[in-house]
Amino acid sequence: MENILAQSAVRPQATAATLAATAQPVIQLRDIEKVYQTKTIETVALNRVNLTIHKGEFVSIMGPSGCGKSTLLSIIGLLDEPTSGVIELDGRPVQSYSDKELAALRNQKIGFVFQSYHLINDLSVLDNVELPLLYRSGVGGRERRERAYAALDKVGLSARTNHFPSQLSGGQRQRVAIARALAGNPEIILADEPTGNLDSVMGEEIMDLLLGLNRQEGTTIVMVTHDEQQAHKTQRLIRFFDGSQVQ
Amino acid sequence: MIRHLFTLIWNRKRANFLLMAEILLSFFVLFVVSLLLVNNYHNYRQPKGFAPDNVWEFNVDPGQDTVDRKGTLRRLVQELQATPGVAAVTWTSSNTPYSFSNMNTDQYRYKDQKAPLTEVYDADDEMVRVLGQKVVAGRWFDRRDDAATHTPVVVNQKFAEAMFGQESAVGKVLTDDKRTRQWQVVGVIEAYRSGNDFAANEAALFERHVLQDTAQYGNNTLLVRVQPGSGAVLEQQLVRKIKAVTKGWDANVNTLAENRQDKLRIMLTPLVALGLVGGFLILNVALGLFGVLWYNISQRKAEIGLRRALGATGRGISRQFLGEMLVVTTLGVTGGLLLAVQFPLLGVFGLPPQVYALAMSLATLLIFALTAICALQPSRTAAGIHPAVALREE
Ligand SMILES: Nc1ncnc2c1ncn2[C@@H]1O[C@H](COP(=O)(O)OP(=O)(O)OP(=O)(O)O)[C@@H](O)[C@H]1O
Ligand SMILES: [Mg+2]
Repeated sequence: MENILAQSAVRPQATAATLAATAQPVIQLRDIEKVYQTKTIETVALNRVNLTIHKGEFVSIMGPSGCGKSTLLSIIGLLDEPTSGVIELDGRPVQSYSDKELAALRNQKIGFVFQSYHLINDLSVLDNVELPLLYRSGVGGRERRERAYAALDKVGLSARTNHFPSQLSGGQRQRVAIARALAGNPEIILADEPTGNLDSVMGEEIMDLLLGLNRQEGTTIVMVTHDEQQAHKTQRLIRFFDGSQVQ
Repeated sequence: MIRHLFTLIWNRKRANFLLMAEILLSFFVLFVVSLLLVNNYHNYRQPKGFAPDNVWEFNVDPGQDTVDRKGTLRRLVQELQATPGVAAVTWTSSNTPYSFSNMNTDQYRYKDQKAPLTEVYDADDEMVRVLGQKVVAGRWFDRRDDAATHTPVVVNQKFAEAMFGQESAVGKVLTDDKRTRQWQVVGVIEAYRSGNDFAANEAALFERHVLQDTAQYGNNTLLVRVQPGSGAVLEQQLVRKIKAVTKGWDANVNTLAENRQDKLRIMLTPLVALGLVGGFLILNVALGLFGVLWYNISQRKAEIGLRRALGATGRGISRQFLGEMLVVTTLGVTGGLLLAVQFPLLGVFGLPPQVYALAMSLATLLIFALTAICALQPSRTAAGIHPAVALREE
């Protein structure tokens, strides 16, 4: 019941989406505030953000540097807790999950692509891509290996499986990071400027990859980008300014 | 997950090699200290082979008196023996239990068998009644030995085993290295660990010397077994008697119990000092390990954040760090054990094998406890690192 109420509260954004109104909301943010408190200053990174993301949507987020985009992604990705407000995942408030359940949710439902890749330098490309499956029970070593190979194949890096991250270019590292997100086969991909460090051709390729994933597999994608062209290829664009949604 | 740990450790082999080397070296130091402590404890638990309680030691000094010293001593022994409260009196060399003198030799031969380094004591027929050595074969000296052609000796089991193996020692004739002297074994005692409470059970041999002999004189030490509970009154009485019989020889008295305490204190001092040094060393190693782990975790904050993002629980993170430490420690300890096992294999100190085994187990246990203690807090900190904050570190 609460679910329906919540949906109607955020209706203005939902109608703005090109998506059918019948689609289920996977992520709902209500009155999310995030304040960073340091000794000297208080930074309001997010200011009363309301957002609903439906199953199968491809949403892009734009805004100037420091406006809170990465903060928003880490809250959606259950990596950070808001100072106030409610997050619901599949209609269930996240506060009610235990640490263990949250870890399982991150592992199974969500795939991250970070602004700065975040590969483990002491692990080979293949081992890096296997990581999310390592934290999933019931996936054997062989299956891990196969799925990691398949994911690397999708990003065109199957020839570099035994390299270490330091031996790769920035674009290749970002593709490894994407392969890592794909390997877990998540319902939601949260991508923080996935093409920020790539040239336009490579950026185009990554974008096509994400679009294909969204269309063919129905993966819900939330992507932060600085590229207007890319943003317009997605179904919905949300603009941020100083911690607030402006559009 | 275990394979993942090994992969991580292997890929970080340079940093881990140093850590492993530190663990190996500290294991080795712990092993040597343990070896010393375990060996002392092992010796301490061995039978002493004699009873030092209620035995008093009198050192008499004739000084300038040169008139019939031997006759005087003989009379003195008779007088003391006749005193009520005295159970037995023996006349012996100065290497009494817990004294600071000893005599040893490896001159004895039996056929081609060369004796180990053997502690040698002068003893008379009465000694067994004073010190209560446990005779396990043959007999102690008595009047029958007066007619012996070879000097009668009593040996301990350690000596008997070294010289005669499984054969019975009693009746065997020993010679010296030049084959000019002969001794005949008349009895075997269980043990005689008289140097101090931590003394090893070394080969020992008692040679019969009696005051009735005309030759071989020079011992001025008397051991007196008194009735339990005897005190200052008897002591005064005995000293007066000595003065009366010897007409002014110097005499001083100690109980073996006092001497034992003195010797124990002297033995314990270096052990305690070594223990302290070992303790400080361990503390140092612990602080070093702690620092390394702490640094390690602060270096790997981004990795911790990433793993959390990919589905690791806080507990999983701390288990990973503990697991890495466990693997590195196990590798270091394995190296240390390979080194340590050379001691018994090469027979460096000639200690019993169970002493080595116990020292190895003790050192292994200590080093694992040490690393566990050092790794626990940093691992817990790692578990508590906030993933979103960690992911901002690069
Ligand atoms: N741990 C923190 N402590 C204090 N302030 C923080 C912290 N993390 C982020 N901030 C502040 O919060 C605001 C939002 O940061 P965020 O990283 O979300 O911006 P962004 O939109 O992702 O920027 P960019 O486009 O440059 O990546 C910034 O002003 C930043 O300084
Ligand atoms: Mg950002």
